[in-house]
Amino acid sequence: MSSHDQNHPINNDTSDENTTHFGFQTVEKNEKESKVASVFHSVAQQYDVMNDLMSFGIHRLWKRFTIDASGVRPGNKVLDLAGGTGDLTAKFSKLVGREGKVILADINSSMLNVGRDKLRDLGLVQNIEYVQANAQYLPFEDNTFDIITIAFGLRNVTDKDMALRSMYRVLKPGGRLLVLEFSKPEHELVNKAYDFYSFNILPKIGELVAKDGDSYQYLAESIRMHPDQDTLKTMMDAAGFEQTGFKNLTGGVVALHKGYKF
Amino acid sequence: MPQTISQQLMFAQTLSAILETVINQFLGYNLHGIRALKPLSEKTLTIKLAELPFPLSFTVIDEKIYVSSNDAPNDCCLITSISSLIELKKEQQLTDLIKKDKLDIQGDLKVAQRFADIAQTLDIDWQSELAKRIGDIPAYKLGQLGRKLLKTLNFAGTKIQADASEWLIHQKRLIITAAEMSYFNHDVEDVEQQVSALSQRLDKLTKHISKLS
Repeated sequence: MSSHDQNHPINNDTSDENTTHFGFQTVEKNEKESKVASVFHSVAQQYDVMNDLMSFGIHRLWKRFTIDASGVRPGNKVLDLAGGTGDLTAKFSKLVGREGKVILADINSSMLNVGRDKLRDLGLVQNIEYVQANAQYLPFEDNTFDIITIAFGLRNVTDKDMALRSMYRVLKPGGRLLVLEFSKPEHELVNKAYDFYSFNILPKIGELVAKDGDSYQYLAESIRMHPDQDTLKTMMDAAGFEQTGFKNLTGGVVALHKGYKF
Repeated sequence: MPQTISQQLMFAQTLSAILETVINQFLGYNLHGIRALKPLSEKTLTIKLAELPFPLSFTVIDEKIYVSSNDAPNDCCLITSISSLIELKKEQQLTDLIKKDKLDIQGDLKVAQRFADIAQTLDIDWQSELAKRIGDIPAYKLGQLGRKLLKTLNFAGTKIQADASEWLIHQKRLIITAAEMSYFNHDVEDVEQQVSALSQRLDKLTKHISKLS
């Protein structure tokens, strides 16, 4: 067991009403937002390169799986929440066609700027809108979207239950939410290897490439503190979603949760 | 429902990603450009192969082909197997394969034909593409070497095939020649005709005997 595990049991929820987690630290709820913001301001420019390096490119397959599972159709209105540098938005924008619309939303202005520049450089301008938004207080009318995706974003949200309720509110009846997020590996051996990689190698890659080991240490810690597959499913049920379920990808390193609003 | 290893390792997504990259790369190299894609704009062809547990959908959007592994709404759907798909190259095979239940087509056949046309009219100048990356002279030399190698391989292939048939037919006498097969078929037909004539004669004689008695 790594020193991290000894000091910080996985998903040991020590937060109360006024505090929450920032990695393995317990912080005031109003403090987390600014701390997460500073992490993403710091990594925004190197985000795509780091994603490829850290996941050996597999994040592209996880995102492709999400798009395949979304059942997106031409004319759909899609919200890509915590969309960061716009990987999902780029693909959705093609698939919804001219009649559809994709909103790329992120709380972090640096990530949103990097995403906007990247998509514009790809010539994707017609059906994409950019919104700086907090997932807990989505600035959209009720029953607006056919699909909402949040990929590798939910674990950074301060109040996840509130965010899920907010997503439920803006989904159209018949619409679906897809949460792609790091999760708990199914096999102990994979879990051990993953722990070693996350706490010993990942921060070093972050230090070498993005010159910011601390931010990547936070990413590793935030993954461990994120609810496991069953807990997140229960949270989605509590927010009102129906027919919720999840699929483990790459042995449970990542899970895709899906739920409908009827 | 428990997930299979293939689902967990995202085999469907890996295959569709590889196909999408390769197809669009090839279309980019095509000497006829991407004009052929225009009539297919926003059309989807789905192929359900017996060998794959998931469908493959090919959609043309903005002069690119997007491949997905979900059962998207489509304009045409082919339900077949890899071997029948290869046989489809011959036009006259279409009706035959449908009759033999080896192929099922749902939707607009023209969409499938247009996709097939694109594949058949691909014209790529590999040497010129290579020259852009490694320079004219190395590309020319590599092209020459490639052609030489191909010629040698073709010659070796033909020679090996000829020698192998010689050995099997004449030395080991394990298989027979086409002419021998034809003689045999001819003899079988002869016997068949003789048996049929004999059978008719026996019928006649039986009838004759029954009249006499």
